[in-house]
Amino acid sequence: MGPKAAELRRELRELVKAHVPEGFLGAFTDNPADLETAQQFCRTLAEHNRLCLSWPEEFGGGGASVWEQTVVREEMWAHHEPRGAQYMGVNWVGPIIMRHGTEEQQRKHLPPIARGDVIWCQGFSEPEAGSDLASLRTTARSDGDGWLVSGQKIWTSYATMAQWCFLLARTHKGEKKQQGLTIFLVPMDDPAIQVRPIRCMMGPHHLNEVFFDNLRVGRSDVLGEVDQGWSIVQDVMAFERVGIARYARCERLLAAAPSVLGDRWEDLPAELRGRWVRMLTHCRRARLLAYRVVSLQSNGRIQPGDAAAYRIAVTKLDQDSAEVLMDIAAEVSPDDPGGRWFLGEAEDHWRYSQASTVSSGSIEMQRILLSRAMLAAAK
Amino acid sequence: MSEMILDLGEDAKEYGRQALRAFEAAGGDQLVQQAEAKPDTRDALVGAVLNELGAWELDARTDADGLEAAAALCRSAGYWALPYPVAERLACPVDLDVDGLIVVADNQQAGAIGGLELRWAAVTSDGVRSDVVGRGVSGPAFVTALKLSETDRNGAGDVALGLVLPCWTLLGMLDRAVELTIAHITLRKQFGQPLSAFQGVQFQLTDAEVERSGLEILAKYALWSAGAGKPEALEDALALRMSAIEAAEVVFRVCHQLHGAVGFCDETTLSWLSRYSQPIRRLPLGLSATRDLLTRRVGRDGLTGLYA
Repeated sequence: MGPKAAELRRELRELVKAHVPEGFLGAFTDNPADLETAQQFCRTLAEHNRLCLSWPEEFGGGGASVWEQTVVREEMWAHHEPRGAQYMGVNWVGPIIMRHGTEEQQRKHLPPIARGDVIWCQGFSEPEAGSDLASLRTTARSDGDGWLVSGQKIWTSYATMAQWCFLLARTHKGEKKQQGLTIFLVPMDDPAIQVRPIRCMMGPHHLNEVFFDNLRVGRSDVLGEVDQGWSIVQDVMAFERVGIARYARCERLLAAAPSVLGDRWEDLPAELRGRWVRMLTHCRRARLLAYRVVSLQSNGRIQPGDAAAYRIAVTKLDQDSAEVLMDIAAEVSPDDPGGRWFLGEAEDHWRYSQASTVSSGSIEMQRILLSRAMLAAAK
Repeated sequence: MSEMILDLGEDAKEYGRQALRAFEAAGGDQLVQQAEAKPDTRDALVGAVLNELGAWELDARTDADGLEAAAALCRSAGYWALPYPVAERLACPVDLDVDGLIVVADNQQAGAIGGLELRWAAVTSDGVRSDVVGRGVSGPAFVTALKLSETDRNGAGDVALGLVLPCWTLLGMLDRAVELTIAHITLRKQFGQPLSAFQGVQFQLTDAEVERSGLEILAKYALWSAGAGKPEALEDALALRMSAIEAAEVVFRVCHQLHGAVGFCDETTLSWLSRYSQPIRRLPLGLSATRDLLTRRVGRDGLTGLYA
């Protein structure tokens, strides 16, 4: 990764240590202080020119290499994403607006993201459109100079705290369902939008339903071309191809386990220590597969199956390592040094990992992509 | 070789492709069947093509390019289930006057060297080196018991590569098994459509591919670690070996299942790959013993990574 990446890793760890309290489990707990920690951390990163490190310099970013971006992904996810919901704005909303937005949209939206001031949510999934996203039913009905949007989104992360929504809606019924879709950039404080939180095991303030009741949007809210939103969705997915560095948190927690148990580590059943080593090997495997995807993507040689194989490996790692960590947690007392921290982490990791094969493209979709690529390559 | 490798260099990959073509021209899938019928013809069957490829001029021990080429050659040998211990010969220590190196367990010494008249050294994971001074009757896949005579205890640095290169051979076998399976499910029709049209079949294929591609990336890592002489090279090699055996279990299970009954037949290449993968998976240590040794060696430190 090179010395710059190593230096960045050290710097990020110091920033996390200085600005994120120990035991922080993400921004979406019942404790409002956690959200404020994340918001403040984003502003701190922005002050250190580290928030938009991956952005091109012409948009005020750091022009960082793909390897520095990888370090950011790893360190942030390993420490429960102390950027909270803002990682989406930095990772793909901003870059997509750079690519498809008008100058006015860029002036309006990019500086607040770069300052660490704004949270975005993604209005994609619907009750009847999960993996089959193009079947969505939220409709933008033509009305005068603009449209009236009505419909329902679901599983929308961070909608209660977001100021903006990256909304996908149907503007026309095309011959194919992928046609006639449009992206709108809409403010979440519009009274035509109602958000209903869905409390869940992954964190109480994470998932939501979002209802649109004749939300008025205009031409200036359209990102890219009307009816051409599907190609932007593909771009969004390409930005998220590597996705979150799940392996980094798995590895951090697994590596911490022996020190929490102290001398009792050697008393663990040999079979459990064997499973622990196996998971560390799977962490390495997933990390190296991620690096390979990053490398292939950066030189334009990536094939659809490359990322899918990695995504399957890393999401299964997330769940498998969570089971091993919970098995180790069975031996840990809250009174052990670091015991309470470890038990909280292991529980949170286990809960969150249940969704890893479902969210951001289910494992079934990844399997379809991978098998399709394998069969096509053999033709 | 200072930077970790995510892929072999172009020269090594081209050498691997040349080797694939050369092995095919020398007899391809027939070689292992001919060798099984007459184990003492192993050298006659493939010795010449390996010489032509310059296999024994590769310096896997001290030259980074030679090491990558050696790995590529092992992979190509695995692809054809080449009936010859290519990896073991390429792992030959530089300071011993022998033709190859076999890593052995403390409690069981065996190697797939039946039918070959070569001078072998053996090494345990603790670095105890021996001369192979006798051998038993050759069993399935040329495996034979070894009689050893200890020579020194200086082989600690020999072990990692001795474990890593056979994993490259196994990787080549998995490459081929997956390739054969894709061809089979594309051709074979049931209920009026190719097997490949069934999602249940497609998803099994992805199970195999995730394991195969995971093994591939770990094989590159462990090769780099061994070549760079990392202090943890042996642990990296054992981690690779554990994953290689697990990957082989999944891949061959899936490939046999998707081939159906024809996959067991002697006329089907998969059956030869599958049975000849066994010595590599079993020797010097099977899955449980490999994991056990790795666990004992890493102790509480774990593997080198982001947080250790």
